[in-house]
Amino acid sequence: MAEAEIALDIQNLKKYFGGIKAVDGCTFQVPKGQISGLIGPNGSGKTTTFNLLTGVLEADSGDVFYNGENIVGLRPYEIFNRGISRTFQITRIYREMTVFENMLSASSMKIPVREARERAEQLMEFVTLTKLRGEYGGNLSYGQQKLLEFARALMTDPDLILLDEPAAGVNRTLLNNLLEHIHHLQEDQGKTVLIVEHDMNVIMNHCEKVFVLDYGVKIAEGLPEDIQKNEDVIEAYFGHR
Amino acid sequence: MQEKAEIRSKYWLAVFLVAAYTIPFGVGIYTDNVFFDLQWLADLTTVILNGIMQGGVYAMFAVGLTLIFGVMRIINVAHGELVMLGAYLTWMFFFYVGVDPLLALFITLPIAFCIGLLIQKLLLNAVVGGPELTPLLITFGLGLTIIHIVEAIFTTDYRTIPYAPDAFQLTETIAVSRSKIISFVMAAFISISVFVFLKLHRLGKAIRATAQNADVAMVCGINIFHIYMITSGLAAALAVAGGALVSIQFGFNPETGVLYTLQAFAIIVLGGRGHYIGALIGGVMLAVIESLISFMIPNGTAMVEIASYGMMVFVLLIRPRGLMGPKEN
Repeated sequence: MAEAEIALDIQNLKKYFGGIKAVDGCTFQVPKGQISGLIGPNGSGKTTTFNLLTGVLEADSGDVFYNGENIVGLRPYEIFNRGISRTFQITRIYREMTVFENMLSASSMKIPVREARERAEQLMEFVTLTKLRGEYGGNLSYGQQKLLEFARALMTDPDLILLDEPAAGVNRTLLNNLLEHIHHLQEDQGKTVLIVEHDMNVIMNHCEKVFVLDYGVKIAEGLPEDIQKNEDVIEAYFGHR
Repeated sequence: MQEKAEIRSKYWLAVFLVAAYTIPFGVGIYTDNVFFDLQWLADLTTVILNGIMQGGVYAMFAVGLTLIFGVMRIINVAHGELVMLGAYLTWMFFFYVGVDPLLALFITLPIAFCIGLLIQKLLLNAVVGGPELTPLLITFGLGLTIIHIVEAIFTTDYRTIPYAPDAFQLTETIAVSRSKIISFVMAAFISISVFVFLKLHRLGKAIRATAQNADVAMVCGINIFHIYMITSGLAAALAVAGGALVSIQFGFNPETGVLYTLQAFAIIVLGGRGHYIGALIGGVMLAVIESLISFMIPNGTAMVEIASYGMMVFVLLIRPRGLMGPKEN
């Protein structure tokens, strides 16, 4: 099999918080048009990496190439407008805006209003939130908020979607629904998806490639079944035998 | 537990407001300033109507202050100076060019919007999101600078704009000054326009989104620094519009801006910091209480200021969210 094209090329990314090396020279390449997983024990730097990739945090050093452009140092909205969208570990929706307004808030000013509304309608349909379009974000259940955040992340039709723990706090049915949507995005629309997740079922059954972080460094990458057997990974999760 | 405290604070605020409305009557009866005849009732109605109209104008420029606070968490103590600047701009166009004070809004509002943009771009964008004291001190310095520039140009003399001084006879006994009615109608129109813009326009939605969570707004593709500039422009326009509308009712000099800043603060504390409708309701409520006090309490004008700032302190103690403000995190 030929090497897949690279969507995101992360080179020696570093972020220290005082003496804590949250991300310490992380290097990996996310393949284009695939669903990849980013795993690691608590505090291994997964979410920090996401924050660095989306400009929420500024990297101390290192490069991130997206479509040949180094996006380190860009502001979050500039990165978003280049086609990288994300969700958060703990959902961040606008609690005092309706579902529909939440959706529209993520549309670019450059596209016509009508087009944005149509897209919002389609996506709400896609995640089965149409009935709740007039409900305030704060009144939704946690699972529904996750769906809303997911749908909002798709508003501008991004090419790369970063999902931070999509399974956490979501019931099985809803989760299967969400995963189905993710597969649909990848298979039918050729999107690249990178998932941070603690739920190993999700990672092992749905990702084509897995990256493992520990202490801010990538310690392994490969197919899910290989990762499961990898000694370094087992040690990172369970300690020395 | 928290819910109980929440309900209790609401209850105390209600008690406090009822007291604030009844105390003037109590003092009035005690000092023989209340008469239960028709003439007195007509006077009372006039006073309340005047209060509502005054409140409408105050509320409008307080909305500017609450917008800036809501979106950027910046306490802009130069807001009243922009009101004062609005009064002077209107006065200049009236006396030197002969433009009607209301028509002058078509010129002064765009100027104000640009002033707001510039203040944001040059002074505040760099410090927004940082320690709260820095922008506070910057606006404090800015306010003083504006006062002294205006003083240097126009001296400290009081200026007035003679405009629609006659009264509008509502009934035989109730009359309201025409300039007050005009100001109120204009203020209501502008406030409603801004509200509709925030509620329905895409840019308005982006402003609200930024106010709710700037970090999320950024990862949803909103350039929050543009939003900050537009918000500042809008707030400056509201302040200058307020200045134009008070200039046709009262005299003003470079120092009057400070009073409007304080007034706006009292209003947004009562209404709830960062809450749009809260500011409108707070503005009207505060102005009505003030007019009741000056109507029924001897030497009431001095009492008015004590009442509004005293109220600000009490509301902060009883219920920091005010009438409608968002929960503190």
